Amino acid sequence: MRKPVDVGDPDRLYMVTGGRSTADDSFDLVTLIVSENEPSAGMQSEHVRILELCRHPTALVEISAELKLPVTVTRILVGDLHDMGKVSARHPRAAESVASLPETALLQEVLDGLRNL
Amino acid sequence: MPKPARPRQRRRGKGAGSSSAVFPVILLLATAGAVTAAVLAPDEARDWVLGAVITAWGCVAVVVATASYLLRRARRQAAARDSELGAAKDNWKLQGAEVARLVSVSLPGVAREVKSGAGADAALARVVEPSDPQLRQALHIFAGELSEAVRRAGAAETELQQMRDELARGKTELQRLTDETLPAAVALLRDGSSANTVLTKFDWPQNPSLHRAADSFIRELAYSERRSAAAQAASAKALSRVQAKTVSMLADLRAMQDRHGEEVLGDLLRLDHSTSQLGLMTDRLALLMGGRSSRVWNKPIVMESILRGSVGRIAAYRRVRLHSSSKTAIAGFAAEGVMHLLAELMDNAANFSPPIDEVHVYVEERSAGLVITIEDSGLKMSDAAMRRAQEAVSGQVTDLASLQGTRLGLAVVGRLADKYGISVNYRPSSRGGTGVVVLLPPQLVAQQREPVVELPRPARDVPETPASVEEAEPARPAPAPPIASDPVKAAPSADVPRSRDAATENGLPVRAPGRTMAAAEQARRKPAPAKPSAEQLEERQARDVGSQFGAFHRARRARDPLGESADSPEDGHQTTAD
Repeated sequence: MRKPVDVGDPDRLYMVTGGRSTADDSFDLVTLIVSENEPSAGMQSEHVRILELCRHPTALVEISAELKLPVTVTRILVGDLHDMGKVSARHPRAAESVASLPETALLQEVLDGLRNL
Repeated sequence: MPKPARPRQRRRGKGAGSSSAVFPVILLLATAGAVTAAVLAPDEARDWVLGAVITAWGCVAVVVATASYLLRRARRQAAARDSELGAAKDNWKLQGAEVARLVSVSLPGVAREVKSGAGADAALARVVEPSDPQLRQALHIFAGELSEAVRRAGAAETELQQMRDELARGKTELQRLTDETLPAAVALLRDGSSANTVLTKFDWPQNPSLHRAADSFIRELAYSERRSAAAQAASAKALSRVQAKTVSMLADLRAMQDRHGEEVLGDLLRLDHSTSQLGLMTDRLALLMGGRSSRVWNKPIVMESILRGSVGRIAAYRRVRLHSSSKTAIAGFAAEGVMHLLAELMDNAANFSPPIDEVHVYVEERSAGLVITIEDSGLKMSDAAMRRAQEAVSGQVTDLASLQGTRLGLAVVGRLADKYGISVNYRPSSRGGTGVVVLLPPQLVAQQREPVVELPRPARDVPETPASVEEAEPARPAPAPPIASDPVKAAPSADVPRSRDAATENGLPVRAPGRTMAAAEQARRKPAPAKPSAEQLEERQARDVGSQFGAFHRARRARDPLGESADSPEDGHQTTAD
């Protein structure tokens, strides 16, 4: 079964990224992005949409899903905006470490307690 | 004729009378002399004198008688000769008269009779034939030859008339053949009729050689038309397969770009670019061969996508700078054509400018339509080259015979411009190179959708629906009430005027002209999510946790190749099967 040919968009990803295919490693999947500016006229439509999406802090992977673009492409686009100072990034590493570590210990304790029963 | 001879005879008679009277006079004189001598002579000599005188007189008488006789005989002979001569003269005159009559009366008479159609014998019977047998023979020969000549002249005249008629007929036929029949027949052949159909249809010339010439001409033309049509059809068919393959490759590449990580993205993008260029070449050939574009869009395409879609198809896409803040969209039916046209022009501009210079593309909205200017800073085109380019893009010459070499791009531009009523103009660029001004008429520009700009999300809540109706259908319950009565709210479905008739009162989808059934189905279905009122929208704007998690989950799934292939087996099947 073939998909209908007339869905999707005519622009290809290398046009979206301007030919780039690698992003710097400053963002990972769960980096929260917040827009700092309103979109301005003449911007690339993906940039505009990222800025609109990120009025509230939004994870990079969510942006990627909303834009239906691969994560690498999203990272390149967000990197552009970051370089222009239009967005700021927040790395939730601290929250992650705080949230995950005690939880595994607690679970381990529970497990041990259960085994001891 | 006796008349002229008479005076001479009289003269002769007079002469003869005088000469015959001389002799008695001589005799009388001699007698008188003798008597005188006898009288005068002395008596003694009288006897002697008398004897001598008588003797002398006798001699004289004898001489006179002899002379008279001789004279008479000579006269008789002369008279006989005279009469002979007269007869000969008469005869000669008679013959002269006969000849004169023959020449002045008989011959013209015979000629007249023969010319008026009588036979030689009949004509001869009507004139007085000359008594002289030779003249008669001459007259007969003349009459025979003349009648023969007249007959021949008549035959030649008839033949000439026939020839003339034939020539005139041939001329008329030729005239009709060249003026009416052949153009009509050629037009019919061009439309694809067979030689036999054409040959039975028209009134072909009766002249056998003309008919044969026309017949072989038509058959040859039909053969070459058939051959070129078959070649075109075969190429269009083959190219359509290549086109389909290209499109499916592009779709596969896009899926792979989603599925695989950064490490192969660069390679995939390169492949994507090559495939896009391949698509442009294939489309170019297909359009020239009378085929179709590889893709048809059933929704308006915004200008940014149009520009990026066209730039992405050329090799030097990094050298093209787009300057557009236009929010307009190109109607779906024309979007592919416009993209192809722009891609060809940009390709041309990039190819004919130095590889380090940029090609600039500007978009302006004007009341006359959308103006797209493509400027390069390459060498200035010569006047002749510009005129040729202008001629090529004017779309007036669409014959394949006018193609030159491998420079097909501008011919394709001409065809597309002609098809969509786009005007393409070359002019010298203020940057030093060449500028192309493309004017897209307003009917190619889709309806403005100002209010929709704020509502991208509701439409995007059902992103999978358009992809494949079949896979979405069983999972999704049909919307409870069909909303044919709610056209305005259906506006987000991009086609404002078309969604009005998206469904019948009984809920069956209605396909508008130019749309696919899937799109109609989608439009019928969409109002359920599109219907939400303002507060619902605000709720969405607030981004509830559920949708956030959903998006996160989808993105994770998309990145996981195993999950993807398990999730949509059709895709995997398609990738491997093709």
